[in-house]
Order: sequence, then C-alpha cells, then structure tokens
Amino acid sequence: MMTKDRLLAVLERWEPVIGLEIHTELTSTRTKMFCGCPVAFGGEPNTRVCPVCLGLPGALPVPNAYAIEQTVLAGLATGCEIARRSLFHRKQYFYPDMPKDYQISQYDLPFCAGGEVTVEIAGEAASQRKEGGVDEERRVRLTDVGYNARIGITRIHLEEDTGKMVHVGGSEGRLAGATKSLVDFNRAGTPLIELVTEPDIRTPAEARAFAQKLRLIWLTLGISDCNMEEGSMRVDANVSLRRRGESEFGTKTEIKNMNSFKSLHDGLAYEIVRQAEVLESGGRVVQETRHFDAGAKRTSATRSKEEAHDYRYFPEPDMVPFEFDDEFIERVRARLPELPDARKMRFVEEWGLPPHDASVIASDLEMAEFFEAAVNIGGPERAKAVSNVMLNDLSAHLNARGIALSESRIVPSMVVELVELVEAATISSKQAKEVFADMAETGDSPAAIVEIKGMRQVSDTGAIEAVVTRILDENPNKVEEYRAGKTGLIGFFVGQVMREMGGQANPKVVNEVLARMLEG
Amino acid sequence: MSLSEEEVRHVALLARLALTDEQVETLGAELNSILGHIDAIQQLDLADVEPTSHAIPMVNEVRADEPRPCLSREDALRNAPMAQDGAFVIPQIVGPGGDLS
Repeated sequence: MMTKDRLLAVLERWEPVIGLEIHTELTSTRTKMFCGCPVAFGGEPNTRVCPVCLGLPGALPVPNAYAIEQTVLAGLATGCEIARRSLFHRKQYFYPDMPKDYQISQYDLPFCAGGEVTVEIAGEAASQRKEGGVDEERRVRLTDVGYNARIGITRIHLEEDTGKMVHVGGSEGRLAGATKSLVDFNRAGTPLIELVTEPDIRTPAEARAFAQKLRLIWLTLGISDCNMEEGSMRVDANVSLRRRGESEFGTKTEIKNMNSFKSLHDGLAYEIVRQAEVLESGGRVVQETRHFDAGAKRTSATRSKEEAHDYRYFPEPDMVPFEFDDEFIERVRARLPELPDARKMRFVEEWGLPPHDASVIASDLEMAEFFEAAVNIGGPERAKAVSNVMLNDLSAHLNARGIALSESRIVPSMVVELVELVEAATISSKQAKEVFADMAETGDSPAAIVEIKGMRQVSDTGAIEAVVTRILDENPNKVEEYRAGKTGLIGFFVGQVMREMGGQANPKVVNEVLARMLEG
Repeated sequence: MSLSEEEVRHVALLARLALTDEQVETLGAELNSILGHIDAIQQLDLADVEPTSHAIPMVNEVRADEPRPCLSREDALRNAPMAQDGAFVIPQIVGPGGDLS
C-alpha cells in the first residue's frame, strides 16, 4: 500500500516532470462537430447518428461554427494566442470506435497555442513541493503554507470524439477476455477539445489543482458540463523523474483512465513511487502507456492501440483552412465572462473577504454564484457574514449529505435572512446554527422557523434581570465565592441563566447583567 | 527517394492491407514512380513558398450549430454484418493488429 510518507520521501530525492492532456467534450453545442446530429449523453444506442458520424462513403463533414468559437473562447480564457491561420488534419489509426478509420483533428496548426494558467497550492498539498527544482521561478510562495504555480499551455485543438464500446463476455465490460464488443456511435463526432500543458507540473497535487482549475474555467465559460463520471472531461498524464537539481528529462510513461481528481492525484503518486523504485534498483523506466486502477491504486502496462504511433497526419481535404481576423477574435473575446481569478480578487477587494475565504468560494462555481446572489440581496456589508455561513454551516451540510449546492433546499435569500436575524439580535449565533439545520431540512425561511419554534432571543434586560436575581438567590455560596475573587464562576452563572431561559437569552446581555449584579 | 520492400509492407500494414509478394513488388514500383515526381518537385527552391493544403482559394467554410434529422436506427444498422441490442457488433479485439500476413 502506497503511503503519503513514501511519496514525500521519494519527492525529496526525485523531481517529477508532469504534463497533462485534457480532453473536454463541448457539451454546450447543440450538434456534433461535423454533422447535425444532436449532442447528448446516453440514450438508446445509435439513435443520434447519420452518414457523416458513421463514416459512410460519400458523406461530407462540415465544421460546426459554434464549436470553433467555443474553442477560441477556451483559448482566450487560458491566455493562448489564437492562430490567424489554422486547419484540420486527418489522424489515421484503426479502432472500432472510430468508423472512418481516421479522426479529424488538428496537427501543426491548432486554433490556440501558448497560454498559461496559475494554480494556487495551499495546505497539506503544498508539502509535496520540495526545494531544488530547476525552474523555481515559476513558483511563487504566497505564505508559509502555500504557493502559486504557473503552468504553461502548449496548445488547445479541436477534434471529434469517438464512439463507445461495451465489451461482452469478459469481466465488467473490460477488453481482457471479451469475446465481442458492441459499438454505439451516439458519442462519435461530439466536438472535443484537447488541451496539452507544458511539462511544468511538479507534484501530483499541482496536477490535481490544475485539472480542477481548468474545469472551473470551462464551467465558467459554459463550454462543457465537464462531467468526469460521464467522460465529458478526461485527463491523461505524462510523468518522468529526474534527480533533484538535474535539468535533463527522464523517460516518461503515460497514464490513462484517471476519471476523477482523486484518481489523477493517486495515479500520479503511485507512478512516481513506482518509477523511483525502478530507477533506484538500477533499472530503466520503459516508455509505455499505463492504465490506472483506482480500486487497487496501481498502474499497469496496457497494450497499445497501434504498434507504432504512425498517424500519417495530412491536411483534411474535405475542409478548407481557417483564417481568423481581429474582428472575429474580438467578437469572441467580448463573450468572455469574469474568470475565476478576477472573481476572487473582486471578492477580496470589493467585498472584503479574507483571501483564503475568497479562494474557497471562487473555486466552486455554484458556491461563487450563490455567494454573489446572496450579497446582491443582502448588500456588501453582509458579505463576510454570508461567506461565514456558507463556509461553515452550508459546506458542512453539503458534505454530510454528499450533495451539490444546487441539490440542497438552501437558496441565497435564506442565508441573507439568517444573517439579518443574527445581526438584529433576534436570534443568537448559536440559535442560528439550529435554524440553519432546520431550514436545510425543510426549506422553510429562517424567519418562519424562528416564529414557529418561538426561538426569539431575549435581549430584554428586565426579563434577564429577573432570572439572574433568582439564580443568584438560589446560589448564595457561589455568589460569595465569586465576590471573594473566584471570578471564573461567571461561566457557571451564565450557564444557569441560559438553561433557565431555554438558550434564548442574548448572551451579551446576560453577561452584562450578571457582571453588574454580581458586583453589586 | 526510394521505398524498400520492407517499407512497402509497413505502409500496407498501417492501412490494413494484406498484400501478396507479387503485389508488394508491383505496388512498390508504382509508389516509387510517384515518389519520383515528388523528388522532382523537391529539386526546386521552395523556401519562400507557403505549403498548399487545398487547391481552392476558400477559407472558413462552416455550418450553423443547428440540428438536422438523424438516420433511423434500422437504417444506421442496415449494412452492419452483425448487430445486437441496437449496437454494431464487432468480433473480439486481439492485440495491436500486427498479425495481417
């Protein structure tokens, strides 16, 4: 079993060099890349197919204008240069999920190239970063417990997705042992962008943070649903090791089948330790593709699709080249929404959130939108209080239930109302926790819950004084001890008063009244 | 430039063509004749010439992102040698496909 400590020990001696290839289906298009069949997930097999996506002879593929715009948008959002001139190429290989026996893709003239994305690594994840790398300048230390890493984007190109195969006769749909395969071409031809990073990533945690950041950017742009379980976002990684301080690259392996962020992290962690063991025992890393098994937490070599990767790319003759002018690029740029980094800055600078809180909220699109809506209702002066409720009660609630924010019964106005009730001292912050649990359960408004449960906090000094008087009368010994200097007993008195009042007394007022009456 | 017999067999394998020895010889000669023409072009000084990928001077041919009717599943599967549960059936996939001989 791979332990965290083993990875950290390996990282002391070896520096991993990691590059990612991230495929994302542009699920935001209505139709496929080169034909008018609808883009959707699942459904009865082969019900969204036509001569083009089945690769029938004589069919003419025509590029989807919107898919190209979405790709350019992705490029602009990741700091890429948009190619003035580009074209599609044919990539040729045989596999039954690809009916034409070639994939229409891009080769040396992709739509986007040369971008950069910055990821923030904080907390425990930052401990994987060791000193002694040769490109430290790409990593900027933020605080004692975190740093920013700049990851270069080599390119983003547009291509078509393949069909799906179910292997029959083996175990659990795996190819090994299968006697035949069933092919469904509903997915074939779905617009697919492939983003390739520079080999700038140095730890599994950075790889995971990059993939998460990219997903957040894609979701913010609305180009894809980025559903990793359904395969609309798929991450492959290349990794090699070199001794700390060296700049030469070692031999790399490619890891596939990491279909969650956790798998991406764990797959890389496993592979780094495996390569270190091979190298330290005097062996050599074999350049190969390895399959990650998330259950067994290990990678194993796979047989390659093609004996030699001889794709024989050539310009796609069915399509003419593309020339993008300033007007086109600026028109797409105008569609750029506020991106996550800018949003985080705004939360800090305009709404006064602590940077860490702003990071956490801005790193989740649903949380960010919920927060914005709540602040728009409640006003910027309540931003901090709203974010506290979200980061504590709301997050705990979602984690406990294992649900997404959109699946919960909480809406922004409810959080604002809760904050206002505490602010007006109608309820205490302790009571607010109870109200939150209730509203998460029922979807009722906080005010209604406070009303129904009669939870109003008592701030009326007269009522509290009456209770305090009784408590002091009932505990003459304790009062004497307090007055003799045992002031720690204040906690005892507060507890008594609160219990007497069913937890509804305003703790601030109780403390004031007690202090005054005990002195007197 | 000239292709060896081995290279002809390799290209045939990549294209999944099972060639007889005679065909390797005939096709080899034909391919070499085509490559001869390309050799002639390569004699020219083309340093300042943009590569031509398409013969027609057109760019940006696209279609709007609008759905069009699909084939019925019956029609889609009509030419399939084998079908099951609405899917195309393909025989067992073995190895990397290097066994065409």
